[in-house]
Amino acid sequence: MLNCYLRLAIVVVALGGTLEASGQQATEMFIPIGQSPGLSNKESVIGTLESVDPGKRMVTISSPSGAQTVGITDRTMIWLDRSEQKQPNQNGVINDLQKGRKVEVKVRKGEAKAVAEWIKVQVGP
Amino acid sequence: MSWLNWSRWYRKVIILIVLCPLVWVLSAVSACVSMPSPPSDLVSKGRDIFFNETFKGNGRTCGTCHRAEANFSINPSFIATLPANDPLFVAEFNPDLKKNFENPKLMRQFGLILENLDGFGDLENKFVMRGVPHVLAQRTSINSNQGPRTGWSGDGAPGDGSLRSFATGAVIQHFTRTLNRVAGVDFRLPTEDELDALEAFQLSLGRQQDLTLPLPLKGIVPKRGQEIFLDNKLGKCNLCHSNAGATANFGGGNIGNANFNTGVENLPDQPADLSGERNPPDDGFGRPGDGTFNTPPLVEAADTGPFFHNNAIETIEGAVGFYDGESFNNSPSGKLLAKADPNGVGIELDGTQIVAVAAFLRVLNALENIRQSLELLESSAKKGFAERAEDRDLLKRAVSEMQDSIKVLDGGGLHPEAVAHLQKAKELAKKAHSSFFRRSGLTQQAIDELRNGRVQLIEAS
Repeated sequence: MLNCYLRLAIVVVALGGTLEASGQQATEMFIPIGQSPGLSNKESVIGTLESVDPGKRMVTISSPSGAQTVGITDRTMIWLDRSEQKQPNQNGVINDLQKGRKVEVKVRKGEAKAVAEWIKVQVGP
Repeated sequence: MSWLNWSRWYRKVIILIVLCPLVWVLSAVSACVSMPSPPSDLVSKGRDIFFNETFKGNGRTCGTCHRAEANFSINPSFIATLPANDPLFVAEFNPDLKKNFENPKLMRQFGLILENLDGFGDLENKFVMRGVPHVLAQRTSINSNQGPRTGWSGDGAPGDGSLRSFATGAVIQHFTRTLNRVAGVDFRLPTEDELDALEAFQLSLGRQQDLTLPLPLKGIVPKRGQEIFLDNKLGKCNLCHSNAGATANFGGGNIGNANFNTGVENLPDQPADLSGERNPPDDGFGRPGDGTFNTPPLVEAADTGPFFHNNAIETIEGAVGFYDGESFNNSPSGKLLAKADPNGVGIELDGTQIVAVAAFLRVLNALENIRQSLELLESSAKKGFAERAEDRDLLKRAVSEMQDSIKVLDGGGLHPEAVAHLQKAKELAKKAHSSFFRRSGLTQQAIDELRNGRVQLIEAS
């Protein structure tokens, strides 16, 4: 018979007591492309938007390591990086993802398909 | 005495008379000109950044809220001692930060800091008020099998979510000159090297390893408190605070730091709510939150109140008592405990038992204060003539730790004999701090008194 607290441990894990740790999104939006600590140039993809398919909610990013296609879900955060214009960064929408724009994409871990957790897109004045 | 001997003795006296003022002058000059050693390693560099670097922001540093003299935290009584122009109060004197940056009333009354954890899109309505967690013993506290958990809800850092990345988020939230929060305009982001140094410094603070309970304690009440703490059918504290730390162990091995919904948000009559100020509910981990917060270490708890993420409870007795209340027992965590209990009970303690667990935590905290004081005094004793400024800093910090140990024990009416020794040790260290010639001897006496105090609390190992 399982120890009752071992059972508890299983329940705690099942209910999310040991949720996957994650980076804070609130302040992430103010970090310019390429400067996210521990992520940029390590885990995120930085490149230019090669193609955007709003219908299928897919974007392809061209980066030095090749082209990568990622999905966009309702949970994906899109942020407009206006730091080069010394303007505050803002929340964006899928239509802001335009071909040729510079982006940084963080891919959500643990998903079967590559899905973006957030996308920073550099926008002009 | 022959004339020759007398003459030699006389010459020695003359030399001494000449040398004494010379030594005095040299020592005075040394005290004036000797500055703390320049940063020679990552930890020193991190310390310097932590306390002095404003990142071209509004004047705040990490040390503005995580004060060394307040156990790397801050509380209302400490806040009351600060001058009006302290950067902590920047919202009171910087017009750009007057609205939606802090709530000065809640800060001064309850030590609460404003955070926009669910985003900066609606500053008027979307914010939470949180206390300042101490940053001690992080080496033992923030790791989990799923990755690091920082801040009150385990998601305090942007980037990769690590302690190293935490400062970047803190600069954006707390250091900005305006609410636009433009990097390069309102602040500069920490560099990679600075993040490395800050992480190294923070990891160097406080305990570097967890205790192994039970300890051979001497006091009857703290001893009983320890039994209740470790009893998985009664106190059940050790399940989520393994060895009074910040990691959980339900019997299947340590799972590291974990998040739980313990119902703190449901406490009635929370001080900040009673104030009439706006205090939106805090939904904890994630965006939107799931209501969970991560587990803080308990060894450092007794001298770092108020307690919980919202500073809802002022005393350690009250914090232990929370787990006997309805808010906890009706919470998801309380219900899980009840489900695992053969009698269907979550946590049920009586008044004496609550006080006993608190007494145990007070003694643990005092032992940690003593350990740190001894470490500081022993480092001080090794300092040479040229390191006087650094030495004085060590002694000052030791005095502060000793003061905490006295306060923590006295506040619970515990171990008066130990308190007497700790008082003596503190006075000796204070004298050492202001003395030049007797510094070494006084420091050694303080060390002896500290050890005498410690012996009152715990059997010698």
